[in-house]
Amino acid sequence: MPRNGSFAILFNTLVVMFMLAPLVIVCLVAFTPENTLSLPGWTWSLRWFRKVFEHPDFVTSFINSLWLATVSASLAVGLAVPASLAITRGNFPGRQALEGLFLSPLVIPHLVLGVALLQMFARIGATGSFVWLALAHVVVITPYAMRLLIAAMTGYDRSVEHAALSLGASRLTVFRRITLPMILPGVSGGWLLCFINSFDEVTMSIFITAPSTITLPVKMYMYATESIDPMMAAVSALIVGLTAATALLLDRIYGLDRVLVGQR
Amino acid sequence: MPFLELDALSKHYGPVKAVDDVSLSVEQGEFISLLGPSGCGKTTTLQMIAGFVDATAGRIRLQGRDITHAPANSRGLGIVFQSYALFPHMTVADNVAFGLEMQKVERAERARRVEQALALVHLDAHAGRYPRELSGGQRQRVALARAIVIRPPLLLLDEPLSNLDAKLREAMQFELRTIQQQVGTTTIMVTHDQAEAFSVSDRVVVMQSGRITQIDTPYEVYEHPASEFISRFVGKTNLLPPATDGGPQRHVRPEKLMLKPAGQGRADATIVDRFFLGSQWLYHLESPLGPMVVVQVNDGSPAHPPGTAVALDWDDAILRTLPEGGR
Repeated sequence: MPRNGSFAILFNTLVVMFMLAPLVIVCLVAFTPENTLSLPGWTWSLRWFRKVFEHPDFVTSFINSLWLATVSASLAVGLAVPASLAITRGNFPGRQALEGLFLSPLVIPHLVLGVALLQMFARIGATGSFVWLALAHVVVITPYAMRLLIAAMTGYDRSVEHAALSLGASRLTVFRRITLPMILPGVSGGWLLCFINSFDEVTMSIFITAPSTITLPVKMYMYATESIDPMMAAVSALIVGLTAATALLLDRIYGLDRVLVGQR
Repeated sequence: MPFLELDALSKHYGPVKAVDDVSLSVEQGEFISLLGPSGCGKTTTLQMIAGFVDATAGRIRLQGRDITHAPANSRGLGIVFQSYALFPHMTVADNVAFGLEMQKVERAERARRVEQALALVHLDAHAGRYPRELSGGQRQRVALARAIVIRPPLLLLDEPLSNLDAKLREAMQFELRTIQQQVGTTTIMVTHDQAEAFSVSDRVVVMQSGRITQIDTPYEVYEHPASEFISRFVGKTNLLPPATDGGPQRHVRPEKLMLKPAGQGRADATIVDRFFLGSQWLYHLESPLGPMVVVQVNDGSPAHPPGTAVALDWDDAILRTLPEGGR
């Protein structure tokens, strides 16, 4: 087993602390009984958490975000599975171009996309449409699913599918019983990455959400520009808690690094 | 009517003739090996029979039925892949049961036949394991059990032993043959290993550049190769000058040459090098006839050290000439 030197341990500790400190502080602030952003002293309070749930628009935007992330992650994975199958197995002209096309949203700033989509939505009358919002999210999150799925499918032994075919399985059965279970880590990992990215997306969503489709990050941003009070900390703490629980679940089921790196 | 018939089967990839005009008749219960160097078309031929590669021209008939363009999942053949191609997310028993499930064999019967097949390959104790928990030889046997449990009319083996180490490979050769004879399934095996082809096959089909160059029993292929290429592919050979001027060159296998004391044979020779193979000694010699290779049984007597002057002797009856035009 490789052992880290004391310098490496110190360095890593500092990095982890540097990254975690803001999260820890925001979670602590959420429990303050005061009216300002301050660390709680001897008395802790849940008043700001109660306040969150007294704001029905926050709860609605949270449900909007959950729903949006679920729908767009599912659509993105539904698109990415056949696309990456074609890209990793097919031998057709334009295969590379197709891969580039699917991964290209990664390099386009969300700000630019947001402005562009705002104009397009206004033109086609899609402003305030949940479906178009979801489609916009699909565009920006699909690359994450593609990366994982392409990794999961590269080096995949096709003769396993041939074996199933030779044993009398139909093409659909081969996909359902053999291919899908074998790429499942890529599928589920991709879905979760997509979900997180969609849930977290704010830059583009600011431009293209309407009051009826507003997402939690956008709502938080708008609230924070008007007033600074510990309720923002409480919302953040809730999201941190939810994310941590999801990450823990993911790690328990597949192993986080395997899901995120897409390796067996 | 032959059990399996390949009739002028061809597969062309653009100008490349991967398989070119291959015709072969296989009788029921036969064990046939397609033998040749890599790129000779043997695997493509097997994949056309399996239905994974579509033939450019020619016919494949199995039990009189034309299956040339039938989909792979309607042919009902048993196939053992070089990589074994086990389903990694299923247990050994589920792997073997998969084909029966596809045939809609009812549950109790399925379990009985899976058990039977696993017993045949001595893996009954491993039914609940996953492929990743098995050794290479065990995976190979699961692949075999999965292929034969569906009682296929034809068993196709694609380099089935090439991923095993030498000792296991030899043991599996005999086991493969024994199992094939027990179940009596007509079998076609693709291999580049002549020893493997010889030890298990009834007949060997030698392929070269997409064409069949010889179909014979293993003994005939070794003793009467149709060409110098085949002669060298299936073993070592020595060239002897023609008996008469302008006559054909004569060949003799290394184990059929005898070493005699100097001056007592038909040609003088000097030992250049020797290699100990356990049961045999392999000698490289220099002689007026050219370089020679001789194999002698290790009968316990001391070997000739390099530099020893000896004489080569042979029985004219065992000299072979190759057919005209044999390449």
